Amino acid sequence: MLLEVRDLHVEFRTRDGIAKAVNGVTYAVDEGETLAVLGESGSGKSVTAQAVMGILDMPPGRITGGEILFKGRDLLTLKKDERRAVRGAEMAMIFQDALSSLNPVLSVGDQLGEMFVVHRGMSRKDARAKAVELMDRVRIPAARERVKQYPHQFSGGMRQRIMIAMALALEPALIIADEPTTALDVTVQAQVMDLLAELQREYRMGLILITHDLGVVADVADRIAVMYAGRIVESAPVHDIYKAPAHPYTRGLLDSIPRLDQKGQELYAIKGLPPNLMRIPPGCPFHPRCPMAQDVCRTDVPPLYEVSGTRGSACHFWRECLHA
Amino acid sequence: MPEQPYEPEGAIAGTGMGGAMDLGASEAVSLEKTPGGPDGTGPADKPRSLWSDAWRDLRRNPVFIISVLVILFLVFISLWPGAITSGSPLKCDLAKAQQGSGPGAPFGYNGQGCNVYTRTVYGARTSVTVGVLATLGVAVLGSVLGGLAGFFSGSWDSLLSRITDIFFAIPVVLGGLVLLSVVTSNTVWPVIGFMVLLGWPQISRIARGSVITAQQNDYVQAARALGASNSRLLLRHIAPNAVAPVIVVATIALGTYIALEATLSYLGVGLKPPSVSWGIDISAASPYVRNAPHALLWPSGALAVTVLAFIMLGDAVRDALDPKLR
Amino acid sequence: MPEPILEVDGLVKHYPLTQGVLFKKQIGAVKAVDGVDFALGRGETLGIVGESGCGKSTVAKMLVHLERPTAGVIRYKGEDVTKLSGRALKAVRRNIQMVFQDPYTSLNPRMTVGDIIGEPYEIHPEVAPKGDRRRRVQELLDVVGLNPEYINRYPHQFSGGQRQRIGIARGLALRPEVIVADEPVSALDVSVQAQVINLLAGLQKEFDLSYVFIAHDLSIVRHISDRVGVMYLGRIVEIGTDEQIYDHPTHPYTQALLSAVPVPDPEAREHRERIILAGDVPSPTNIPSGCRFRTRCFKARERCAQEVPLLAVPEAFRGAAGPAVHPSACHFAEEKQVVPPETDPGGDRFLPPADGPGRSA
Repeated sequence: MLLEVRDLHVEFRTRDGIAKAVNGVTYAVDEGETLAVLGESGSGKSVTAQAVMGILDMPPGRITGGEILFKGRDLLTLKKDERRAVRGAEMAMIFQDALSSLNPVLSVGDQLGEMFVVHRGMSRKDARAKAVELMDRVRIPAARERVKQYPHQFSGGMRQRIMIAMALALEPALIIADEPTTALDVTVQAQVMDLLAELQREYRMGLILITHDLGVVADVADRIAVMYAGRIVESAPVHDIYKAPAHPYTRGLLDSIPRLDQKGQELYAIKGLPPNLMRIPPGCPFHPRCPMAQDVCRTDVPPLYEVSGTRGSACHFWRECLHA
Repeated sequence: MPEQPYEPEGAIAGTGMGGAMDLGASEAVSLEKTPGGPDGTGPADKPRSLWSDAWRDLRRNPVFIISVLVILFLVFISLWPGAITSGSPLKCDLAKAQQGSGPGAPFGYNGQGCNVYTRTVYGARTSVTVGVLATLGVAVLGSVLGGLAGFFSGSWDSLLSRITDIFFAIPVVLGGLVLLSVVTSNTVWPVIGFMVLLGWPQISRIARGSVITAQQNDYVQAARALGASNSRLLLRHIAPNAVAPVIVVATIALGTYIALEATLSYLGVGLKPPSVSWGIDISAASPYVRNAPHALLWPSGALAVTVLAFIMLGDAVRDALDPKLR
Repeated sequence: MPEPILEVDGLVKHYPLTQGVLFKKQIGAVKAVDGVDFALGRGETLGIVGESGCGKSTVAKMLVHLERPTAGVIRYKGEDVTKLSGRALKAVRRNIQMVFQDPYTSLNPRMTVGDIIGEPYEIHPEVAPKGDRRRRVQELLDVVGLNPEYINRYPHQFSGGQRQRIGIARGLALRPEVIVADEPVSALDVSVQAQVINLLAGLQKEFDLSYVFIAHDLSIVRHISDRVGVMYLGRIVEIGTDEQIYDHPTHPYTQALLSAVPVPDPEAREHRERIILAGDVPSPTNIPSGCRFRTRCFKARERCAQEVPLLAVPEAFRGAAGPAVHPSACHFAEEKQVVPPETDPGGDRFLPPADGPGRSA
């Protein structure tokens, strides 16, 4: 396994108390695999990724337990400078907002080239050439001319391509993309997603795709992990989950999205709101919103039951859900 | 941060059945109407305005408590200096000149044989008066002019911006030396007037910027779409959301105005003897600093502590009002 | 279409670009909206879709008089309301209200929920006598599915979905006939989106509202709209009923837009054709000659650069009948099915166990 997260726990101290953002997340990504981590805001999907990247704000954040194994080494036990060496060179991150992730006073060529100057000790001239090559790679037209331009001179889609180029620069083994296309228009979204998937295949990288959009995930992911209240509630190969979800939350999410090919009468809506992370309900955190909840759900936290060799569901009634 | 699981927005989310899904479903609606769910009865569920949140933060901040205690003490002695002193700050005995501390004069005597303790206490009145009135004048004039310019924009705004630029170009001390040297009145008013004249552009710029920012919020558009008048937009929607930076800057400026008054008095263009001011005393004591350092130390120490107290207060208020923490 | 309550004719909004400090000289214009026509029937929902920068939000702002049109006419019940001011404008405003996109910036953080929802009554005191207002506000909270006891709380104590409900309650306070909703659910989580959409649909029936529903998400627009207009670079390029637009699109832009929508079904990707558009949307300061879509169009020919296509039933379809016959601003309009026909018809919506035929089949 390229990356294994085991029983990760993260808390945030706030003025109103302790928010338990991640409560025992376990997932793994292999080379050449795409894992989609799906969840709503507050589900802990981004916090987990930030912990993996080592860019969690601490304080207020605090990792209270678990392991993050990258190529067999536990990243949480590394020293700061060892960790920094891993970041960028071996794993890279793509953010949602490309404009604020790029430095507005440096040309994109300088920013791309900097990676090679800092990590590879290249001369500025060679680094510039590398930058052009990378921009070609992510199919920015007229890369040679545009390498001298500044981030604001590029459109949203092109900026996201530059972000991808930057993440790819040192050919990392793992890329984490946090909502990479959420800020983009649909027509551009498709282009960027296709590019990302293609490059991932080409470099055989592991890709963690963090998103709230079930549609985007369906096209590119191999596996899906659904998060709710800081836990993985369902994990399965992509085809299985869309065909027959084994957790009522996943099922509710799938049913609540309006579909392009049909005009529904009334949308199914999951009742209630995501839980307050300072007061996560006892038992199964989803029980107050779950149409299948029984007494046991209010008292016992469901473990991740094995549904089959490749999928798991944290629901006491996964069988009923699967065959509902 | 793309995801903020710990933001206080979730406060009511804990009431379980936060939103009724469907108007027809009476069960859902009745659940929704139950005040306070299983875990929603905590104090977080009381109405909490942003001001009360800020006040809650302030009360817990030691910097705020210390600075407020110092300021309250200063206000007290400027209102009733007689409560902790006896005798007049103008009663001087040359025979006691430069003497160290003695009975009734814990801080000793200055070059003219005046009681340093009494003069330092009475000096607070000048400082606090000048500081408070100058700040009030600056804040009112600056926020009205800047706020209106930001709200109405257009040519008035351009005109005001050029005027503030002109005022920013005037060096404060040089301007004070020139303007105040022609004034003969030995009261605090010319000094306050000068400070308001030179100080308002600073507040005006901040008020203009913060009005422009507040105006871009959708709630202002929403009120406009309802047909709200300009005065309602300004007073009810924009001003309450734009006032925080003005308060912070004005508080910090209050300290600097006190320092400026002392500076001008030191240079001989602010207040002149027989008025009592820390600046005058510092100026008078500086030639004898080798023989009677206490005469310099006490008024300048009082000045430093006062200015620091206001700057600390401003910082604490800024931290409490900073919307980014919310 | 039922009798129109709102008609828009040749609506234009240009923002001048100026140069110079003292003597400002106009050097161009951002053509945000460049000639938009549509009509909204009573009780109907018109969806307007388009990508960012297509001018859909500017149209919304003009409908609620937050922006004055550069040219064109907005008729409310047959009367031109674009030139109104003062009392007459205020009266029209009562009837056309707006729901905003961002539930975080659309509520004044210094006001209680009661003050926010009650403000419409302070601005229009004739609607409700003073003593009656509190009761009305509580009723509104109830209508949008919030606890009426929350009246004294502040917006920051609510979640995004709850805030959006508060915004909707404010929009309803004056009992308007038309509600313009600008991306009302795009800032919300998936599970909460459905709640708010259902709420909007329920309110429409209850209060006989007409909606202009603006969004970039084509699936949501289809769900809620009776008719749909597709905007590109300041103009509507195709308009028709939801069936006409989604199942029988004739404009290449609509087709590309529909084909790009990610569908939450990994099986579907095999039998779907994607139309990937080249390049980016041109700047609204420099709109291409002829057809404004031609720079990205996969069908563009000579004629497209010279002749502006009008929004009308295309020549090729004249005299024909069927769902493909609807206004489409393209010289080479041609029907093309991009959304695969319904694979799994309604009825397997998730209900408590023992219900429903099941999805695993």
